[in-house]
Amino acid sequence: MLRTDLHDELSEPEADRTEPAHAAEPIRLQRARGFVELEVGVRAGASALLVHREAGCSKARFPKSLDPRLFEAVLINAAGGIAGGDRIEQRLRVRAGASLLASGQAAEKIYRSLGPEAHIETRLEVEPGGTLLWLPQETILFDGARLDRTLEVDLASEARFLLVEAVVLGRTARGERVRTGALRDRRVLRCEGELLLVDPFRLEGPIAELAERPALLGGARAFATLFALGPGTDEDRLQAVRGRLAQVPARAAAGLRGPVLVARLLAADGFALRRALASALEPLLPAFGLESGLPRVWRC
Amino acid sequence: MDEGALYRLLTWLSPSFPVGAFSYAHGLEWAVEAGLVRDERALVTWLGDLLENGTLGQDAILCARAHDAVEAEDAVGFAGLRALAAALPATAELLLETTAQGAAFARTCLAAWPDPRGRLALFFGEPEAAPPLVYPLAVGAVAAAHDIPLRPALAAFLQAVVANLVSAAVRLVPLGQTAGQRALAALEPAVGAAARRAEHAPIAALGGASLMVDWCSLSHETQYTRLFRS
Repeated sequence: MLRTDLHDELSEPEADRTEPAHAAEPIRLQRARGFVELEVGVRAGASALLVHREAGCSKARFPKSLDPRLFEAVLINAAGGIAGGDRIEQRLRVRAGASLLASGQAAEKIYRSLGPEAHIETRLEVEPGGTLLWLPQETILFDGARLDRTLEVDLASEARFLLVEAVVLGRTARGERVRTGALRDRRVLRCEGELLLVDPFRLEGPIAELAERPALLGGARAFATLFALGPGTDEDRLQAVRGRLAQVPARAAAGLRGPVLVARLLAADGFALRRALASALEPLLPAFGLESGLPRVWRC
Repeated sequence: MDEGALYRLLTWLSPSFPVGAFSYAHGLEWAVEAGLVRDERALVTWLGDLLENGTLGQDAILCARAHDAVEAEDAVGFAGLRALAAALPATAELLLETTAQGAAFARTCLAAWPDPRGRLALFFGEPEAAPPLVYPLAVGAVAAAHDIPLRPALAAFLQAVVANLVSAAVRLVPLGQTAGQRALAALEPAVGAAARRAEHAPIAALGGASLMVDWCSLSHETQYTRLFRS
């Protein structure tokens, strides 16, 4: 496992400044680094793994998919959670005509940081006629966590893309509360190089207090964004998703933003959010070639 | 700032300037329907949070950076900002709200106000062309082209947007006219703070946490009785 001391490599001067002032020596913590790169293409009429590189704490495993046309990858953080200063880099590419379902083995836990932010950078690329389902499990922020996350998605025309990203403030089932912290979470969606959507979420400082604000999170402790793009994410599909969202125990609504189906969901806790997401996803899955229903890790 | 600059800001950002502001409510129509904004106090909290941690604070940054780009005669930078800004609204109605007003603002200014250096048309191209021009970019660009300093331009822009939403709430909640004015008075510090923050905020500072506005806007798309287009 690649565990390097990144103290000297931290590029953000801000992160250095936030080291505890009382430390006579710079704190030298073991910080995790992870890198994973996957490329999936068509071999002998089926989606198959063409490239698999991994280093550090990032791993990928490939359970046999219940849908033969779909290649399935489960991303794993072997470090068991993310602490301040950790850096994870993920690269997924789907070649023309191939299908990849990428999910996470577990909810990603972001622990209290002593100062520096954790960085997660993900780049997804889908070639013409390719399909990518990006369905990681929830990111759970602990009190004092600091996370800077970027997701960049480059789609070719005629690509299909489904994304769900969920954040839970504390392990809500255990009654944990996140008082302070920092979450910067940028999603950038491009099609043929043109910007479709830029979604920069920023929640910093007194998170518990901000979450209560009616115009911000409205008291929600768990929230998610869903994007769906591709054939079959039209008005009919939107009606089906809206029908589901009207029934869930969350503030949840969907609409079409140009070619992209966008939904926002805000719930009291992680469990309610997951139920709402599972319900909203179901009518979308067939358009993305997932006939067998929700990925196993997503079933409640 | 001289009287000419004040005269222009007051004109361009007045409710009678023909951008159609009165038909947009930034999701407030649903927020009122859902019981989230029931009174003057809730309105001040709602708009204050959007200025500090949400869409309106983000718009202030866009306005500031557009002002920079035009001041520096950086057409390439402005084009990049235009594409980025048009990708930011998370819903169709929030996009319509800002781009319809942006195009109308640019078109009206170009048609009615002599452009001091004749370069605005270069920046705007066709105001309706893709990527669409969002309202804060149009305001920042026109102000810079007329040598109006950024800070008063930001304050005027935010005042116009906030006053328009207060006016929407006066009709929707409903609130009395005096309550609406009290709300505007209460929001003055938040507008000033948002303008100050935006002045030097980099593009990387864009973003906010107003997911509830997105939810309100998406819910508004299917709201049964609607007075507003957003």
